[in-house]
Amino acid sequence: MFRTARFAFTMARRSITRRKFRSALTILGIIIGISAVVSLMTLGIGMRSQVESTLNEMLGAGIIINSGTYGIDIPEHVQSYISQVPGVNKSIPIVMSMVYISNKPYTVVGIDPVQASEVYQVTLEDGRGLRQGDDDAVVLDSTIASNLGVKVNDTVTFSTQAGGVGKTFKVIGIIRPMAGFGQFVSIGCFITLDAAQDFFNTHDRVSSILIRLDDPNQGEQVEAILKQMFPDASILSQEEIMSNINQVMSTIDGVLLGLASISLMVGALGIMNTIMMSVHERRREIGMLKAVGGERWHVLIIFLSEALLISLIGGVFGCIFGLGGVYLIQWFVKTLGLNIIVPLLISPQILALGLIAALAVGSIAGFYPSWKAANVRPVEALRYE
Amino acid sequence: MSNVVELRDVVKTYDLGDNIKVDALRGINLTIKRGEFVSIMGPSGCGKTTLLNIIGGLDSPTDGQVIIDGIDITHMSEGELARIRREKIGFIFQTFNLVPLLTALENVQIPMIFAGRFSNSEIKERAIELLRLVGLEHRLHHRPTQMSGGEQQRVAIARALANEPSIILADEPTGNVDRETGWKIIRLIKGLNETLGQTCIMVTHDPTIAQISERIIYMLDGQIIPEPPKLTINPSSSMLADERRQMLLAELKWLEASIKGLEVRKNRLNQESYAQVKLGYEKQLERLKKVVQEEYEKRRSK
Ligand SMILES: Nc1ncnc2c1ncn2[C@@H]1O[C@H](COP(=O)(O)OP(=O)(O)OP(=O)(O)O)[C@@H](O)[C@H]1O
Ligand SMILES: [Mg+2]
Repeated sequence: MFRTARFAFTMARRSITRRKFRSALTILGIIIGISAVVSLMTLGIGMRSQVESTLNEMLGAGIIINSGTYGIDIPEHVQSYISQVPGVNKSIPIVMSMVYISNKPYTVVGIDPVQASEVYQVTLEDGRGLRQGDDDAVVLDSTIASNLGVKVNDTVTFSTQAGGVGKTFKVIGIIRPMAGFGQFVSIGCFITLDAAQDFFNTHDRVSSILIRLDDPNQGEQVEAILKQMFPDASILSQEEIMSNINQVMSTIDGVLLGLASISLMVGALGIMNTIMMSVHERRREIGMLKAVGGERWHVLIIFLSEALLISLIGGVFGCIFGLGGVYLIQWFVKTLGLNIIVPLLISPQILALGLIAALAVGSIAGFYPSWKAANVRPVEALRYE
Repeated sequence: MSNVVELRDVVKTYDLGDNIKVDALRGINLTIKRGEFVSIMGPSGCGKTTLLNIIGGLDSPTDGQVIIDGIDITHMSEGELARIRREKIGFIFQTFNLVPLLTALENVQIPMIFAGRFSNSEIKERAIELLRLVGLEHRLHHRPTQMSGGEQQRVAIARALANEPSIILADEPTGNVDRETGWKIIRLIKGLNETLGQTCIMVTHDPTIAQISERIIYMLDGQIIPEPPKLTINPSSSMLADERRQMLLAELKWLEASIKGLEVRKNRLNQESYAQVKLGYEKQLERLKKVVQEEYEKRRSK
């Protein structure tokens, strides 16, 4: 058995090197399929981990109440009612909205500097954090700062619309970017609540109220009470957001997987075709192998080896090119100027999965033609020239 | 047990579908003793290859009984037959049938790898020894495309001997090489028969080659006939007057008989196989006529 397998691999190796062009094309098909799998999976996993850590950082709050209109129209004093709801530990009103800085949109958060640390964990890289009364100051994350080309003590101008006239803020601190998957979602621009209300001209009104719970497991009860209190507001619990996001991520995963399987399928067809041709060309040889005492499984192994060897080579190069592909996508995203950080997590599991997928494709696609070869009737195969 | 081959009333009918049947063998009774060298002769399509295939366990008879080396293989399964083939049979084909991807040495190893009877090092040693036996020790690592026809056939002979078979079955082993090389191959096989006591059954169209065997079996239209049909010497060939002439004329005669037989069976055959067989006959006839002509001219020039 082992001896036959070794012998079969010798034959497979020579068969592949003999038909160099054909083999190369087939291997290329597998390379494309596997590198698609590896790069898309790496991307998918990277995005998922990105989203999760973003949410964790963003949602120090257990529940977020947003205005039903997504404007800045929740009366700030509502917060005092909410504080009295049993199970609520703290409620923090914030203004979260969009501003244009140098004609590019950013999400700005206006928050009481004292309370900010309760919900956002930030790490200062330079300068200092916001303090009470810092109404002309802004804290940026380093990505935004470098996009805008500003340093501590420089100024930036906010406007409510592209090209509009606005208000100037002084950069007083630069923080490490919190995880974020896009400038619309990631939060990296902070001013005080007062400054925000002043800028958006929404005195005593806020866009959201972040709520911290005494016990994270009480989320549902508290949410139910809040829903009764504010039927018009949009109330999101962290769990809900997580599950929504997870749904979106699963859809993305599905699409990526679908793309990957289509390219794998093409690779599989290539292998099937190549082995089929090999079987056809070597019919006489099969007849002879049987005449000298070969059984079905001997012949099966010989042709299956060829399929497996092709897919193994394709798999190895596919993994390499797949990782290369991730770098390529990163670079591409960067040159497009999109502020999306796609983390590259090279996980051995994905590489193993790539190889296993290659071998699985090879054996499945190679099986049918190999089975055909195994069932060639020797008398007929030897009969015709 | 001194009979290596025993065939009893063996019939082989190919069913071509649409109720068309070809009777390739029509009641063959044959015994071959251990150590015998037997030639089978007969016109194209008379069933020689079919007979060898059945003796070699490559094909199963429609009816009758096949006993090889004392074992009744008539109703064996595909797997059991494969085992019989690798343990008891060595095939030699007209077209050599070596694996083009493998070297001479590797080709000789194939049956031993399948059989699993020897260890790895034994397999290699044995293959080298067999190639030395057929005089190819200087070609161990050559691929078939790098060897002459005669060398390839000698590799095939070494391969046939690999598992120490009870019977060597050679189907026109000289059909694809020139006459001189053909003779070398025949002498090699004959030598194996004489020195190793190897049982050999060989199909040949060449009466002079058949002469070196102990026994010639004549076949016609799926049956064994006791001797070549009586000759009616026609004037054009009356100049040939020796044994060779007899053989040639006998074959000519069979061919003509076979063609007549084929015309009779024409309606029972499908068009394709009829055309194919007929073409075979005609080619053979042409070749024979040429040989007779050459022979004739040789005589006359003497
Ligand atoms: N697989 C098959 N299917 C159908 N008919 C077959 C098959 N094999 C052989 N035959 C028929 O059986 C008959 C005997 O064929 P066989 O090959 O045994 O002849 P042969 O004596 O070896 O001829 P040749 O000298 O040309 O090799 C022929 O009529 C042939 O057409
Ligand atoms: Mg034949």
